Amino acid sequence: MKIAWPLLLVGAVSHPLWAAQQDEAAAALRSGQYDQAIELFQAEVARRPAPAAVRGLVDALSEVGRYEEAESVAARHADALAPELWNALGEVQLARGKLREAEASFSKAMQDRASDSLTAKLNRAIIYHRRGAVRRANAEFDSFIDAYNAGTRLTSADLTAVATAVAYLGKVNWGLTQDALRAYDEAVAADADNLGARVRVGELFLDAYNSTDAVATFEEVLDINPRHPLALLGKARSRRFDGSDEALDLTKLSLEANPNLVPARTFLGALYLELENYGAAAREARRALDVDSNALEALSVLAASQFFSGEQVQFEETRRQVLALNPRYADLYNTLAELSARIRRYRDAVSFARQAVALDSTSWRGFALLGRNQLRLGAMTDGAKNLETAFAGDPHDVWTKNTLDLLDTLQHYPETTSPRFRFFIDGSESQLLAIYAHELAEEAYDRLSARYQYHPPIPIRVEVYSSHADFSVRTVGLVGLGALGVSFGPVVAMDSPSARDKGHFNWGSTLWHEIAHTFHLGMSDHRVPRWITEGLAVLEERRARPGWGDDVSPGFLLAYLQDRLVPLDDLNSGFTRPAYPQQVIFSYYQASLVCELIEQEHGVAAIRALLHGYAEGKTTVELFQSVLGTSPRAFGRVFDTYLKRRFAEPLAALMVEVRERSDGGVSRQAMALRAKADRNDFVAHLATGHSLFRERQYAAAVPYLERAKELFPEYAGPDSPYWYLAQIAKERGDVRRAADELSTLTAINERHYQAVMELADLRETLNDRVGTTAALANALYMYPLDMALHERLATLYGDREQWPDAVRERKAVLALRPVDQAEAAYQLALAHFNGGEIDDARRAVLRALEQAPNFEKAQELLLSIHAARRGTNP
Amino acid sequence: MIRAAMATLVGLMMLAPGVSSGQSYVVVVTGLAGDPQYADTLHRWATSFIEAARESSGVPESHILYLAEPKGRDARIRARSTKENVTRELRLLADRSEPDAEIMIVLLGHGSYRNDQSRFNLPGPDLTAEDFAELLALFPTQQMAFVNAASASGEFIPVLSGERRVIVTATKSGFERNQTLFGSFFTAAFAQGGADVDKNQHVSILEAFQYARSEVARAYEQQKRLLTEHAQLDDNGDGRGSTEPGPDAPDGALAQLVYLGDVTPVATATDPRLATLYKEKEGIERRLAVLRAEKDGMDAATYEQRLEELLLALAQTSSRIRDLERESREP
Repeated sequence: MKIAWPLLLVGAVSHPLWAAQQDEAAAALRSGQYDQAIELFQAEVARRPAPAAVRGLVDALSEVGRYEEAESVAARHADALAPELWNALGEVQLARGKLREAEASFSKAMQDRASDSLTAKLNRAIIYHRRGAVRRANAEFDSFIDAYNAGTRLTSADLTAVATAVAYLGKVNWGLTQDALRAYDEAVAADADNLGARVRVGELFLDAYNSTDAVATFEEVLDINPRHPLALLGKARSRRFDGSDEALDLTKLSLEANPNLVPARTFLGALYLELENYGAAAREARRALDVDSNALEALSVLAASQFFSGEQVQFEETRRQVLALNPRYADLYNTLAELSARIRRYRDAVSFARQAVALDSTSWRGFALLGRNQLRLGAMTDGAKNLETAFAGDPHDVWTKNTLDLLDTLQHYPETTSPRFRFFIDGSESQLLAIYAHELAEEAYDRLSARYQYHPPIPIRVEVYSSHADFSVRTVGLVGLGALGVSFGPVVAMDSPSARDKGHFNWGSTLWHEIAHTFHLGMSDHRVPRWITEGLAVLEERRARPGWGDDVSPGFLLAYLQDRLVPLDDLNSGFTRPAYPQQVIFSYYQASLVCELIEQEHGVAAIRALLHGYAEGKTTVELFQSVLGTSPRAFGRVFDTYLKRRFAEPLAALMVEVRERSDGGVSRQAMALRAKADRNDFVAHLATGHSLFRERQYAAAVPYLERAKELFPEYAGPDSPYWYLAQIAKERGDVRRAADELSTLTAINERHYQAVMELADLRETLNDRVGTTAALANALYMYPLDMALHERLATLYGDREQWPDAVRERKAVLALRPVDQAEAAYQLALAHFNGGEIDDARRAVLRALEQAPNFEKAQELLLSIHAARRGTNP
Repeated sequence: MIRAAMATLVGLMMLAPGVSSGQSYVVVVTGLAGDPQYADTLHRWATSFIEAARESSGVPESHILYLAEPKGRDARIRARSTKENVTRELRLLADRSEPDAEIMIVLLGHGSYRNDQSRFNLPGPDLTAEDFAELLALFPTQQMAFVNAASASGEFIPVLSGERRVIVTATKSGFERNQTLFGSFFTAAFAQGGADVDKNQHVSILEAFQYARSEVARAYEQQKRLLTEHAQLDDNGDGRGSTEPGPDAPDGALAQLVYLGDVTPVATATDPRLATLYKEKEGIERRLAVLRAEKDGMDAATYEQRLEELLLALAQTSSRIRDLERESREP
């Protein structure tokens, strides 16, 4: 722990001249000019070893991690100068993990009635807590409340000690957190330079899941001292809480200021664990342990890296070491549970969280982790119960609160079932989506199980949310997740079509993608790296339906040309720590191409072997070697060649853009000149075509758009040449040409609702009923909530006497709750009747007539049904 | 145009609509649009409704009054929709309409609510709910249907509610001030198919209301907007509107019997065979009404069996009626 130098002490010993020098040194320390501060304090101590100068030097050395020197300075002067230096010595010893020595130093400071003995008492209690003597520690912490209430005047450091003690008590009794915050505020009010207290305020905010205020508080400190290691670390933690990839860089900055800061080193290790870089995680944990061999958090990260690397023996040894140091250290298991969940090993997460709460029944974090991960595995009742326990103990936990609120919503979702799936879909859409989702999910299960020769346990639970915020909470406990769906293995959750804007979502391909993950997770015992399962899932989308799955884009190829794609041997970081916003999307596509190449070169059996190999605990490097006979790095080179060959033409057509970098800020004239100068400049041709189209110069636009299409025929994004050429053809009355353009576009692009609906209209004009039907059927996976779409399809199917399909569409119309229910039920009855489903027809027509008994057409149908059942004429 | 049944509810629930023979009148007023585009929209809604009244529902052209903001745009516009003109036209209508006439007034445009006063915005001075109350008082015996499809129209209900009146507003209060979609779907209910839920070939005010309410909700949902208009209907004279009226709800019983247009009257048969069949049909319909009322207390299979028996009987009887009616129409 670090506290500000007590003013009292400075005032008691300083001479005006020395005071000026000390002020300069203290100012340098406060502003993060550590070298200067150390130099000034050292000079001062050499000249006249006053307690304030010694303390300042110890603090400055400690803040940059020069603990050994700091300890030596403090030890040298503690006996001779002032009892306060025993506390300074104890703090350095504590930072180095010398708990016994630190305890003795703090006791000495208290015995000698040091002016900061309250801080020493706190520090000693923290040692008790670290050892697991929680009752004894809490008794000590509790006494600080009395000290505060005694009414004696407390220094800023005293108030910081009180606040910290109360914050410890608040871990079990959350109501005290506010008191801790108030005491910190008083400490800062008593001394605005008490940066340690401010950092603790930030930490307290973060403990209360309030990252916004936490960041603001850490930034206040960083405004004063931009190199403050703990403030940088606090901000890094807050950013991680927010899901920002800034966390890694901020932690590294913290370690630049203090390379021996154990919590920062440990946190860096945890971040590496999240990136599934277990070697780096272990390295960082060991570096932390070099400073403090008893650091429980560092040992926990080391244990995690060993566990996830399959080093079971070493893991057990580290676990024993942790529990020997603190037999009640539930956070060992909480850390393991949290990290397990982050890499999708939910069963492990449940098992570890269970051990955490068994060790410490007040580990609210443990209960929350247990509950959340049980929910991810579909254990809804147990999960909810444990979350209730967690929430009762820690009502600040926003994840738990959000998830409990979500469970209240989820319990109203009706359940529908297909042979191997249980669906929970928002009530307003359940009836409609079930019609298609059941069929699609079953098809996915059949096709994927044939391909992977694996059958995931059934039933698989599928939750479909009409509110994206609900889906987000289900996935990560917070709103704001960018994903469309998630698979936890036995549980799949996703957005419903109404959660997204029309044209931005294909719910069918999303469901297929997530079910594919369920296969990959099951086969690999949840150990498949993120990039492989994402790549395979996109590949499966492409295999499921023409046009489904991510497609190549100019942005992707430009990123390749500009060396902004992630190398294959680090592809996970493209998902977990993207360097720029689009890198995640590019990584999905890149991973899918890598998987495609693996399959092309080694067959699907290799894919299966990889997935099974992960289940056996093998690493990617080992598996690439044993299954593919190469290393990830070497395969990366093969992939590079593949990419160059596969996209040779568009890559060549984008080279000019790499050189010229238009970035959208170039005039039409300049682009036209570029196009004229180089017939192979894709961007210039497309941009010029767009501009001319906007100016309604269609004849002039066509050659540019045609050329752009030739150069990059696989590009079918919303601004692709196909779309504009179709619009121009429509304008000119060339229906067939327009239909051809849109046909190509929609065969590649899975989300362009407007294109697919226009294509249906054009094909209808061309009297192409089969084509119209196909286009409309395609639209169902983009936006199935349009009643007119189902009515059109039903009519088309009916015209072609495809009665089962017509029945499905009539059911969809009814599911959309039209005002005219009688008509919709009658049409359904008619489709059943025409398809020979007399009993179904009877039920549907009764439904129609129940609402409109004098509905003439329905009456006639009822008579026909009656006659058909009796074998007579109506 | 509008028809109100005066008989008891249960007896009429299943019957062909309309037992009154009063003359029907339609008054459509489009208010101050604010911009030409919205003026076009209001005109489109108004004219589609007027055409439905005239062509599908047989309201004589002379019984249709259309007042709009720009008078010259369409020959059907009787006068500019100023306060003075609207007041004058309604006074003239009060003078010439029969005591048992049915009057439907439809307001399309913007409304406002300030200082506890609801207004329908017109070129020049507005008409308040109180102004309309005075004008409606000029029709003491007539059956009135008053539809204010404007924004902030909800407060018209407490002011205009009364006997023989169906009052519809696009919003539930004066504080729902956003431009409304209700008028679009309410007029479409008469102009397009889809609102005639009971399949009696006529759209009642209740059916139009339910259609519009449902389509408004669907439109907001599809546009991912929060619903900012909650239409309501009052027809029991208690001054409180219902957002979900129905035959069995506090409001809706009268509205389900009030229609736009010249509805087919209940057949009066000279042919004794037809008379018998009409009576038989009426009996089945009554038994159906009773069965449906008892549905909640029955097991599903028994209900379905009895429903089928009655519906089959009704279908057979109706079929025979249609044959005989066809026969009687043939020369």
